[in-house]
Amino acid sequence: MFDGLKEKLGSFREDVEEEVEEKEADADAAADAEAAESADDEAEPSTPAAAPERESSDEDGEKPGRLRQAAAMATGRVIIEEDDLEEPLWSLEMALLESDVEMSVAEEILDSVREKLIGESRKQVDTTAELVEDALHDALVEVISVGQFDFEQRVAEAEKPVTVVFTGVNGVGKTTSIAKMSEWLGERGYSSVLANGDTYRAGANEQIQKHAENVGRKLISHEQGGDPAAVIYDGVEYAEANDVDVVLGDTAGRLHTSNDLMTQLEKIHRVVDPEMTLFVDEAVAGQDAVERAKEFNDAAEIDGTVLTKADADSSGGAAISIAHVTGKPVLFLGTGQGYEDLQEFDPEELVEDLLSE
Amino acid sequence: MVLDNLGSSLRSTMDTLRGKSRLDEEDVQEIVKEIQRSLLQADVEVGLVMDLSSNIEERALNEEPPGGTSARDHILKIVYEEMIEVVGESTELPLESQTIMLSGLQGSGKTTTAAKIAWWFSKKGLRPAVIQTDTFRPGSYQQAKQMAENAEVQFYGDPDAEDPVKIARDGLEATEDADVHIVDTAGRHALETELIDEIEEIEETVDPDRNLLVLDAAIGQGAKEQAREFDDAIGVDGVTITKLDGTAKGGGALTAVNETDSSIAFLGTGETVQDIERFEPDGFISRLLGMGDLKQLSERVERAMQETGEEEEDWEPEDMLQGSFTLKDMQRQMDAMSKMGPLDQVMDMIPGMGGGMMDQLPDDAMDVTQDRMRNFEVIMDSMTDEELEEPRSIGAQQVQRIARGSGTDEETVQELLQQHKMMDQTLNQFQGMGDGDMQRMMKKMQGGDGGGGMGGMGPFG
Repeated sequence: MFDGLKEKLGSFREDVEEEVEEKEADADAAADAEAAESADDEAEPSTPAAAPERESSDEDGEKPGRLRQAAAMATGRVIIEEDDLEEPLWSLEMALLESDVEMSVAEEILDSVREKLIGESRKQVDTTAELVEDALHDALVEVISVGQFDFEQRVAEAEKPVTVVFTGVNGVGKTTSIAKMSEWLGERGYSSVLANGDTYRAGANEQIQKHAENVGRKLISHEQGGDPAAVIYDGVEYAEANDVDVVLGDTAGRLHTSNDLMTQLEKIHRVVDPEMTLFVDEAVAGQDAVERAKEFNDAAEIDGTVLTKADADSSGGAAISIAHVTGKPVLFLGTGQGYEDLQEFDPEELVEDLLSE
Repeated sequence: MVLDNLGSSLRSTMDTLRGKSRLDEEDVQEIVKEIQRSLLQADVEVGLVMDLSSNIEERALNEEPPGGTSARDHILKIVYEEMIEVVGESTELPLESQTIMLSGLQGSGKTTTAAKIAWWFSKKGLRPAVIQTDTFRPGSYQQAKQMAENAEVQFYGDPDAEDPVKIARDGLEATEDADVHIVDTAGRHALETELIDEIEEIEETVDPDRNLLVLDAAIGQGAKEQAREFDDAIGVDGVTITKLDGTAKGGGALTAVNETDSSIAFLGTGETVQDIERFEPDGFISRLLGMGDLKQLSERVERAMQETGEEEEDWEPEDMLQGSFTLKDMQRQMDAMSKMGPLDQVMDMIPGMGGGMMDQLPDDAMDVTQDRMRNFEVIMDSMTDEELEEPRSIGAQQVQRIARGSGTDEETVQELLQQHKMMDQTLNQFQGMGDGDMQRMMKKMQGGDGGGGMGGMGPFG
């Protein structure tokens, strides 16, 4: 995951560097010619109606005034302008889209990078690469890092039994994630019971039953067609009676456009009042990931996201987009078909990794 | 629906071109940018987007619009042709004995699709059988069996067997009598080398006439890589896009057909076995460009009419155009309408109603309309036969009684009566029209002179 993006971020850095170097060369050539002029400008910096300033406000507010440019030139600095970034930013946008970062989120990243770089004067001690790297780092962290919390700690501190409900569209891997989560909790000394709130899909009971057997956990289930909230509620009662730490509640996959099913989800949320609701989506999802994450978050507020199929050569942009639009962190990655294939997700680490050479 | 975003943003860009007969470079660049944005937002792969858009740009700048064609129509034609070029024809599916194998990523919807395709073939008069070879995912046997039952087709699977190749072989033997064999396989992705080896083996044993790749409409840029790997392993003859009833645009399918040089076979639009459509490129592109999809619509109407007709033999839709239009007719019409499926899907196929028109409706308009239809049904249930036959005779007292009886209010009852009156008047205008007139009217509706021509759609607009 993220290999493609990493490569592209590297080339963005190089692109900007090139642009700036070119500019530097131009500036050097022009420096002598304009030396006299800039000296004049600098001589009267406090003149109230200085011509260069008027010019800058008339023409283009974005561009640093000639005064500043001249000043920068005199001190051996280069100011990064909008024009310098146009090409590299376009490539960066394409790179983000190629990595399945949702368009509006990609645009926000670009805006943030643009804002941080334009008008930035490169001191001779800095390299352009460092400047760009800082801007990229900040922009990415800003977008991904949204209230990351320690899942294990939260489970440890919450009143037992802790109920965790999993939601998401069809086929993203909710049930498999629950089985993995049960293993993950077991390794850390927490017992868990599975409750099958998917009373809709054919074969759902058999599927989760098999998983429960494989990982050696108790499963609470009702007949197909039953009330999902009641099943999870029974799971909680079972946990209370048997001193089980965590109830993992499955729900039927549903498309966010199905009003009836989304209302049902709200009801489950209301009746069960889970400690945490985790939204499950797949890392291979494209632009739509944002739309459905939003809808699910609206129907039954989520606390975090589990991103599955992260091993399927996905570019992982969904992780960035979902965290950003829901304002809730990506907590886990599903990385294979084995029960041990569940990893904690750390955005800082990801950004560091993306930007490392 | 697939790529409807492209449709709406394209149309709004196109609107700025109204009246222009020539396009300058700037116009073209703006349109091309808009096309790029829409395609990217629809999850079409970046490389393919760039190819498509540069072709469109080049042709728009270099090709002279034929005499009398507006710049807008010229661009539309180019976009249409370029899209068709990528999409190609629908995957050829002769109505004869054959074996179809399904493959795809985990959770893309193969098992549901297998039952749907079987249902589709059975409606065409063939005897299909579904063979389930997924030995990995728990519960897949039960799911497939249940879905096959829902589709009322033959099923073979073996929950205790461990070798999918053996199940496939035994399954083909056991269902020898069936005309169409649909082999479902376990989900896998391109990087799982062992599983890719396994599907190659299954493919060898099954020797399918067609390999269909099943793709979730929400798949992103990864579609390219996945499609290529599956194509390398077993050869992809067609693509089926699932979960199109969500908000995903399904651009990954375009990427996949482009990558595998194949075509789209089916579209999955819901959770029940009937929610499947054969992919029709013309209809798809027309719908995309906001021109409606009459073919799909008429198929649905036919199916709904058949179902309605099964219950009430004596009703002839043509009567409506000859005699008087009573509330009973309206009731039947609504009944037939609701059998065609979710309103927004149906609306999308009506010329002049899909695309641009739909964009202007608030998001919940369809829900409101559907609620209104339900209300109307309840009200009509509270009416006497005489009232249904002679709605004009309903007086204030009767309105009061009906409102009370149906648990609605007088206002809603009045609304229903108004609606009926409007539809009656519109239908009166239709009477005596030949087919040609009908077509002319359709054209007029397409012309987009607002909702004027839609009185006949009454409660559904």
